Amino acid sequence: MILTRILRCCLVVALAGLALMPDTASGQKRGGTLVMLVQPEPPTLASYLSTSGPIGQVTTKVYEGLLEYDFNLKPIPGLAQSWTVSGDGKTISFKLHKGIKFSDGKPFTSADVKFSVLEVLKKFHPRGAITFRDVVDIETPDEHTAVFKLANPAPYLMMALSGYESPMLPKHLFEGTDIKNNKQANSPVGTGPYKFVEWQRGQFMRFDRNPDYWKKGRPYLDRFVARFVADSATRTAAIEKGEAHVGGFGAIPYSDVKALARLPQIEATTRGYEMQSPIVQLDFNTTRPPFDNQKVRQAVSYAISRKFVIDNVWFGFGKPATGPINSNFAVAGLYTPSVKSYNVPNGVEVANKLLDEAGLRRGPNGIRAEIVHDITPYGEEWQRYGEYVQQVLAEIGIKATLRHEDVPTWLRRIYTDYDFQLTNNWIQTLADPVIGVHRLYHTNSIRPGVVFVNGSRWASPRTDQLMDMATVEPDPAKRGVLYKELQQLVVEAAPLVWVHELQFVTVYNKQFKDLIVSPLGLYAPFDRVHLDK
Amino acid sequence: MAFWRRFVRSRSALLGLAVLTIVVVAAATAPIAFSGSPFRRVDQPFLPPFGSYLFGTDVLGRDVAAGIAHGARTSLMIGLLATVGAMVVGTVMGGVAGYYGGLVDDVLMRVTEFFQTIPTFLFAILLVAILAPSIKSIVIAIAVVSWPAVARLVRGEFMAMRSREFVQACICLGMSDRRVIFRHILPNCLSPIIVTGSLIVATAILIESALSFLGLGDPNTMSWGFMIGAGRTFLRTAWWLCTIPGIAILLTVLAINLLGEGLNDTLNPRLRNR
Repeated sequence: MILTRILRCCLVVALAGLALMPDTASGQKRGGTLVMLVQPEPPTLASYLSTSGPIGQVTTKVYEGLLEYDFNLKPIPGLAQSWTVSGDGKTISFKLHKGIKFSDGKPFTSADVKFSVLEVLKKFHPRGAITFRDVVDIETPDEHTAVFKLANPAPYLMMALSGYESPMLPKHLFEGTDIKNNKQANSPVGTGPYKFVEWQRGQFMRFDRNPDYWKKGRPYLDRFVARFVADSATRTAAIEKGEAHVGGFGAIPYSDVKALARLPQIEATTRGYEMQSPIVQLDFNTTRPPFDNQKVRQAVSYAISRKFVIDNVWFGFGKPATGPINSNFAVAGLYTPSVKSYNVPNGVEVANKLLDEAGLRRGPNGIRAEIVHDITPYGEEWQRYGEYVQQVLAEIGIKATLRHEDVPTWLRRIYTDYDFQLTNNWIQTLADPVIGVHRLYHTNSIRPGVVFVNGSRWASPRTDQLMDMATVEPDPAKRGVLYKELQQLVVEAAPLVWVHELQFVTVYNKQFKDLIVSPLGLYAPFDRVHLDK
Repeated sequence: MAFWRRFVRSRSALLGLAVLTIVVVAAATAPIAFSGSPFRRVDQPFLPPFGSYLFGTDVLGRDVAAGIAHGARTSLMIGLLATVGAMVVGTVMGGVAGYYGGLVDDVLMRVTEFFQTIPTFLFAILLVAILAPSIKSIVIAIAVVSWPAVARLVRGEFMAMRSREFVQACICLGMSDRRVIFRHILPNCLSPIIVTGSLIVATAILIESALSFLGLGDPNTMSWGFMIGAGRTFLRTAWWLCTIPGIAILLTVLAINLLGEGLNDTLNPRLRNR
């Protein structure tokens, strides 16, 4: 009896509570400040000039793209509400949402799209020259229609229109200025859910809610703050204590992630990096002995224990890689696991046999060859990984000396002077193989001075041809066939060792919901993030 | 023999000598006791100490005890080589300046001061970064930042000696400068130089550890600073990775300092009856 009365009471209170809920479009709670740890501090906010990782983590809250993406790597509406691709694949027309304004009050129109793509991204963005190379013109029949005219079909283009990869800029603030030195660079004005307020160098950047955001009722948060903390242990402590709420892309050291994730208020996820798809590698210089010999390269690939590297250097955050294309592309039908596998249990044995066959015999001291192994200067993991490789090479009779240099020296050594034999490295294979993968294997990517391209300098006419065909092939099934052959040929030639698909981790406070909602992860606009309580 | 009798009077100096002897023995026997590379994987990672391995294993399954023994070699070698370098340069510079005085003194001391104005450790970092990390560049860097102190000390001693009667007498007798310097002045100011030298060894070990900790060590050589640097991320989960090499550095540097103090007490005539 009493129980029923209590229950009834509760029901009334609950109903009253529901009635008092704020009247927003989807009933999410409004308010709150999200503090994100960004490491390292971005050098600039000009995301249209530099693709350096941390820049995108903040600028995507201000600049949006024509499209967003779902977890199947399919485009979904962004600034464009719909689009049609012509039968020959050479015309793509975007219909823009109506009523979108930049945060300075000026309307966003198709003229801004045309200007951003043709005048800024195609000319100045590091990857824009490739992404938009076939875009010959953009027609703007009205304010809300932008028609891309292409010289050739460009299926990869549709994967590169996020706010991270191709930000849409305000023409009225950039037109007629020196794009590379525009004063807007560090006080960005965009269409996004947050407005840039201030940047205290070395400390934080503050972004406040954009009250005129075109998605009604959003964003739910009042404020977004990016904080820069140089010391990794302090970053971990900030998340633990709730002073900061989210950190990704290695901001939280892998060694701390597991301990943090055990805390009741913390969640760790590897989702939200599906459009980065990084692969941890060893790059050979395929023009110098001993690695000019395919069998020697294969031997090294056999000798590396993927499991050991993943478990002990990256604390379990990785997945063995099979070849040049990340398995994240399986949903797009571009990945195949049916290639030569180097990930075998008796790898060292196979490697020794291959080296004997290659004519690289052990000398009286058991040494077949002496090499220098360069370490990519991006942090501790890479040093541990280098030390592991050194030990494995010793087991197969290759004596490796480690060399550790600063970033510019290392980049010049690998990509300009080609003065190396073996280096560890990692490459983001990005949203489409044309943008992220071709650059490592194509003859025309052997470009001294350009970083993160084909530094191994291996190429073959057939693989070049396959990549050229896949670039212009609009049918996903046919592209899949081309890429299957490419993967088989490249893996057989082994210009690199593909060790594992690196999994970044985002650690966040559970009081925030809908943080990671797409493969863009921390590069998403955060308009849907809201507080739980 | 009198020297030894005076030396053993100090218990702390004896203690320092004992600890240092252990470190030297560990360093000398490392290739026998822990044959093969100390970077070699021996077992599962993160095995705790005092189990199947005396000091456990690290993140890549390397034997920490092997690292400590081989690291002792690195530390002592770098400490000694850098100190010898600093002593030779410092003594020559300071000696010439103190003995000849005048313009020579001015020029040499301005050069010395130039080196002294740059913060020691930052200068060492800079040098290693420019020369690319290796044992050789670390030794050079430590010697370059350590010699000015020796030069100032030796100059002071030489200036004081220069005006003493026995030196004046030597000069009056027509002895060559070289003979005066090497036969009469240098032996008389050897004791403060030795004491300073012992302290420079200790500082050199600390600088080397700090450089390795920052990732500027020779990546092919095991050292204590490297072990701490590699283990610091696991301070919460595997305490021994930082603690054991940390204790090794602490004990070695303390031992050298105690020894230096003992030498000072023994060699300094004014402190002989302390």
